[in-house]
Amino acid sequence: MPRKTGLSLFLIFVFVLAITNMSEGAFKKEDIKVFKLDNGLKVILYEDHKIPQISYYTFFKVGSRNERPGLTGVSHFIEHMMFNGTQKFGPGEFDRLMEFYGGSNNAYTSDDLTAYTNWFPPHALEKIIELEADRMQGLIFDPQVFESERGVVASERRMGVENNNEAILQENVRATAIMAHPYHWDVIGWMSDILNWRRDEVIQYYRTYYAPNNAVLVVVGDFDSQKTLELIKKYYSSIPSQTPPPPVTTEEPPQMGRKEVVIKKEAQTPSFMVVYHAPKCQDPDFFVLSILEKPLLQGQSSRLYRRLVREEQLAVSVFGGLEEKIDPYLFSIYVKPRAGADLEKIERIIDEELNKIIEQGITEQEYQKALNIIRSSFYFRLQTNSGKANLLGATELLFGGYENLFTMIDRYASVKKEEIPAVAKKYFHELNKTVGKLIPQGGK
Amino acid sequence: MRRFLTIILAIFIITKVMVMASVKLPQPEKIVLKNGLTVYFLKNPELPLVSFRILIPGAGTAFEPAGYDGLASLTASLLLKGTATMTAEEIAEALDFMGSRLSISDSEEYASVSGECLSEHLPRLFQITAECLTQPTFKEDEYQKELARKIDSLKAIKDNPGAALRQYFRKAYFGDHPFGQLSSGTESSLKKMNLEEIKKFFRTRYRPDVAIMAVVGDLDREALIKILNQTIEKWARPETPPLPTVIPPLPAPKGKKLILVDKPDATQSYFALGAPGYPIGDRITTRASLMNTLWGGRFTSWLNTELRIKRGLTYGASSSFQSWKAGGLFMASSYTRNDKIGEMLEITFDLLKKAREKGFTAEETESARNYLLGQFPQTLETNGAKASAYLRLIYYGLGLDYYDRYLQEISSTKPEDLKSATRLLPDRDFVLVVVGKAEEARKQLSRFGQFQEKKITDPDF
Repeated sequence: MPRKTGLSLFLIFVFVLAITNMSEGAFKKEDIKVFKLDNGLKVILYEDHKIPQISYYTFFKVGSRNERPGLTGVSHFIEHMMFNGTQKFGPGEFDRLMEFYGGSNNAYTSDDLTAYTNWFPPHALEKIIELEADRMQGLIFDPQVFESERGVVASERRMGVENNNEAILQENVRATAIMAHPYHWDVIGWMSDILNWRRDEVIQYYRTYYAPNNAVLVVVGDFDSQKTLELIKKYYSSIPSQTPPPPVTTEEPPQMGRKEVVIKKEAQTPSFMVVYHAPKCQDPDFFVLSILEKPLLQGQSSRLYRRLVREEQLAVSVFGGLEEKIDPYLFSIYVKPRAGADLEKIERIIDEELNKIIEQGITEQEYQKALNIIRSSFYFRLQTNSGKANLLGATELLFGGYENLFTMIDRYASVKKEEIPAVAKKYFHELNKTVGKLIPQGGK
Repeated sequence: MRRFLTIILAIFIITKVMVMASVKLPQPEKIVLKNGLTVYFLKNPELPLVSFRILIPGAGTAFEPAGYDGLASLTASLLLKGTATMTAEEIAEALDFMGSRLSISDSEEYASVSGECLSEHLPRLFQITAECLTQPTFKEDEYQKELARKIDSLKAIKDNPGAALRQYFRKAYFGDHPFGQLSSGTESSLKKMNLEEIKKFFRTRYRPDVAIMAVVGDLDREALIKILNQTIEKWARPETPPLPTVIPPLPAPKGKKLILVDKPDATQSYFALGAPGYPIGDRITTRASLMNTLWGGRFTSWLNTELRIKRGLTYGASSSFQSWKAGGLFMASSYTRNDKIGEMLEITFDLLKKAREKGFTAEETESARNYLLGQFPQTLETNGAKASAYLRLIYYGLGLDYYDRYLQEISSTKPEDLKSATRLLPDRDFVLVVVGKAEEARKQLSRFGQFQEKKITDPDF
């Protein structure tokens, strides 16, 4: 849930990776420099001088996963407040200075992490470091600005969820499938929480999670590592570390039967989705399922696209799959049905296709296709400084170390085609399933 | 989505604007094929990837027969749905198998083909592209499927007030001008759509002798020429001369045109306000881009500061200039709770007036210059971005040194230049479209004039 960008499906795409046969001079682990300041801040630097630009990304290990009822959406709200004034730089100064120095920025919050992303010309580096270090500890949460920003987030929710049928359904399905774990709620939070967050609670949350020992800094682009590290030390060293935040201990109990959620709402077309509980991203099964998801529902040659869109003509589009999460989350299959389509038939066809995989697995051609998709999309992402920075940071936080980025391909390639049926069987069954339908009322 | 939208808009504007001395667009090699197709090529061995683009002038929505909205888009999508030797499934399978991307899309003035893949797969990707461009079969059943999908997408657009707004605005602003043709189609246009018209459009509009192509990535010139000879060069030049591609000047609204579209379940009202901009290559481009950066083009712009940062009325508010050969468009847009739309518009009009009367300070001007300069390098970072830039510069006749020339211009732009560009901001003549819950919005809007009302459930836009 970014401050200035749409829903946080961002991370779905962050993580399909592979590295084989990387050519000389390309992105290599040996060229990455890593430091840890005394206060616990981890710094990951990668010099790339092709264009006069720097991507400066700060990742905090906090997201909606760390919230509780009453404070849902607060991680995302703090993401917004991070632009709204510190003791040193008043409200609006961060953006004003950023843009004056030729930089631009964004930020996003997911269930697991919050990232602050800056893109700027090299001459702005020291100013950006100063600004970023400053807001890691100095936010003032000016009461008036606090209220105004609450309105912005409420508007974001109205736009992103309430005026978007797919998002409404997704929020309902997530909350139905996941009952105990904080993944129960969406990153944006419930509207009543948005309208009632208390300033003192928000400040407490900020103090707990915005600490150097709970953050990772990733810098990629046109800079000198040694000089940059000196500047980072100069501005960040005085920030004290904090008591590590409490771990998230709630585990989702096993689901014990099919669940269904039905929304009735004014609309011209229905919406439909099916989700299954899925493993966390560090689980070996995660890699098996992410091979499987490609022939199942990625691209127009995928099994579900062929059946639902091409052959039966029940749907306009099909997409979904896994998301990389710290804790077990969902495998989602989103279908945009055609107006008047038989939703039960759609569900039946999805079952049939999943059962085929459970019984027969996927073909050698499909297996190779999955690996090709993984490899090419990895390179597409490496084309930019920001793509590299995002991959390094997300891997660091979600996969337990940025180094894993460079062996990720081996993990995918080490999945054997023969493992797929058993793993599919473990997750794609009736007891593990939640179905969501949005059925148009009124209108046409 | 706001900040990314802004960046995209900024890229659109900046691409026309300038480049820092150290970020010059590398000069491509020019290769002319026997069928008249001109290819621009740049080698980039950094990653094992290749991107390419083909721009086909005259195959965009503005050249559809009037009333056949969506025809150019259907033509483009059907090209990937079956050739003399491959079914739609086989094409999809071949592309997905390589993890490659191939799309054909339409904009107002042209159609474009866009592809990227691992370098090792380029021969196959070019082979498929060439087949799609030269031997599409336009099968009836594929046509029916695409048409049905289009009809459903149209319904989905009407479920989404932000998406619907863009279509209503375009129709309201451009009317019967060729730019009023909607790529999405309309209920009426899709009703009378037929495959013969599509085939005719393809036959007369898709031709190599007017097209231009750019290839950027990890391969050698010789290898590229060899692959092109075996694939794209076989795209035959028609015997007949190309059809004219001149578009009449874009319409300019006279007086106020106000439209309110009722969507009773909307919790927010969305507005778009438009007035004439300037054609591509116009002398005002730099000044206008800098001016817009400050007024509504970036996060700290006046518009976003007042509507979002200070008042929290919205998640995002922005403005942009879009330019074509035949003219341009200025558009500002945002959205807010239904009961706040009047206040939001009031503030927007005040800011337009303030800009026209007062202009911008020296510090603001410097900030806008730094911003456009600082954000430029990353707009040409990828192979695909470079390929698109080549085609854009060639198609619009701007010259491959265009960005260099703009560097000079942007650095020397002064506050008074920005003030002079504010004449483009809407004053008395404009089109304003609001999509929202009319019951709540109506009363607040009456102070701006007489709105023509439409229902979102009525056919067309």
